[in-house]
Amino acid sequence: MSGDAHCEKLREAGAELALGVLPGRERAEAVAHLDGCADCREYVRQLTMIGDRLIGLLPEREPPPGFGTRVARSLAEQAAGPQSARPARAARVRRGRVRRVRLRLAAAAATLAVAVGFAGWAVGSAVEGAVTASSSPAVESEPVLVGDMIPAGGGQSVGEVYAHPGSPAWIFVSVALGGSTSNGRVTCLLARADGTTTRLGDFPVRDGRGNWGVAVPVDLTKYSAARLTSADGTVLATAQFQKGKVEAPQA
Amino acid sequence: MSGFRFPVGRLPDEALLSGLATGDPELAEIFVRRFQHRVFGVAMAVTGDQQLAEDVAQQTFERAWRHAQIYDSRRGSVGTWLTTIAHNLAVDAVRARRTEPMAPEDLAPLLGAVTETPERWALADEASTQLRAALARLPREQARALLMAGVYGMTAQQIADVEGIPLGTAKTRIRAAMAKLRTALASPKGGGHVR
Repeated sequence: MSGDAHCEKLREAGAELALGVLPGRERAEAVAHLDGCADCREYVRQLTMIGDRLIGLLPEREPPPGFGTRVARSLAEQAAGPQSARPARAARVRRGRVRRVRLRLAAAAATLAVAVGFAGWAVGSAVEGAVTASSSPAVESEPVLVGDMIPAGGGQSVGEVYAHPGSPAWIFVSVALGGSTSNGRVTCLLARADGTTTRLGDFPVRDGRGNWGVAVPVDLTKYSAARLTSADGTVLATAQFQKGKVEAPQA
Repeated sequence: MSGFRFPVGRLPDEALLSGLATGDPELAEIFVRRFQHRVFGVAMAVTGDQQLAEDVAQQTFERAWRHAQIYDSRRGSVGTWLTTIAHNLAVDAVRARRTEPMAPEDLAPLLGAVTETPERWALADEASTQLRAALARLPREQARALLMAGVYGMTAQQIADVEGIPLGTAKTRIRAAMAKLRTALASPKGGGHVR
């Protein structure tokens, strides 16, 4: 069968493939074709996105009372290590606290993979509103450092920084720089009050926008600001940290 | 610690996901609270069973926690990623428990739910509004086939059996519906007539 014929066949089955309902043999043939056909991959990618968005139209529902608390507790217990349900990690459970701490740090480091490649984000304002509009009494929980990214020349904020100084510590940066740094990489530094800095790493921006979350192996409370610089060291923006606490609604 | 109080609602979804990956229990609860209605909604729509939906929703968050490091925002928002996980788990759960993927009487209300465009959706993003409108314009039989495949995870053969139509017709309806949605979403104004 020629390539065009394979493509034609793929186009016939693409919708079912994208929706995950193509039977086994046909699915195997389609996937084999996709391995070598970028056009068809793009076609199926678009259809898959439509399928995902279709699921996103399903109406929200109120879960049973206490659901969120139960699930969060379950996650926390699993994260703590000993009760982890991950089969591959079962044998490691008895290696003690140090080992568990290392696992937690490894999980934190994995957030780098979450961060790199962020090409843009939109805060889910509707969902966020539902959270903030909750009438439940608020309780203080985690300490947090936040700051607005102010351009080197002053002016309106071009982004935000959220830093969690706990263990493990992590930081999340979101910027919309524009200008000369529309595409490329920027360097993120943590600055102390005495002017010394610690380099966190280089991060990508696309169309001036970038978002990164990264675990940081330092005591964040010793730092007063986060700074972004271009490849030549030019300061692009700085965020002065403000200390606060995350305020969470009670169950 | 002195200072201001910071509302968790301002934390971006990706920041919460990063926190979830670190095993932070406080952020885990905030994360679950933010997305539980969407996740549970998907699970209920597919399973139609409160207990099964709760199990699916819990598994969704556990899977998100375990695989947070593979989330790629270029492929969709955190919410979309979660609902996709929930959908896959729900379809698998139904397949494992029932021979019939859906109750026929559930289809019409579901179609109504995904095509309604009242004021409550006024703040929805433009793409979702376009998709709802394009779905509403689909011929009824194509919309039914699309929902059976896309929501309930039914194969073309299962759709053919339920609708009493040839297999080829079921495949054509799925394909035609998806092609029209793709065209509608690709056009600058989201479509016009898709019939």
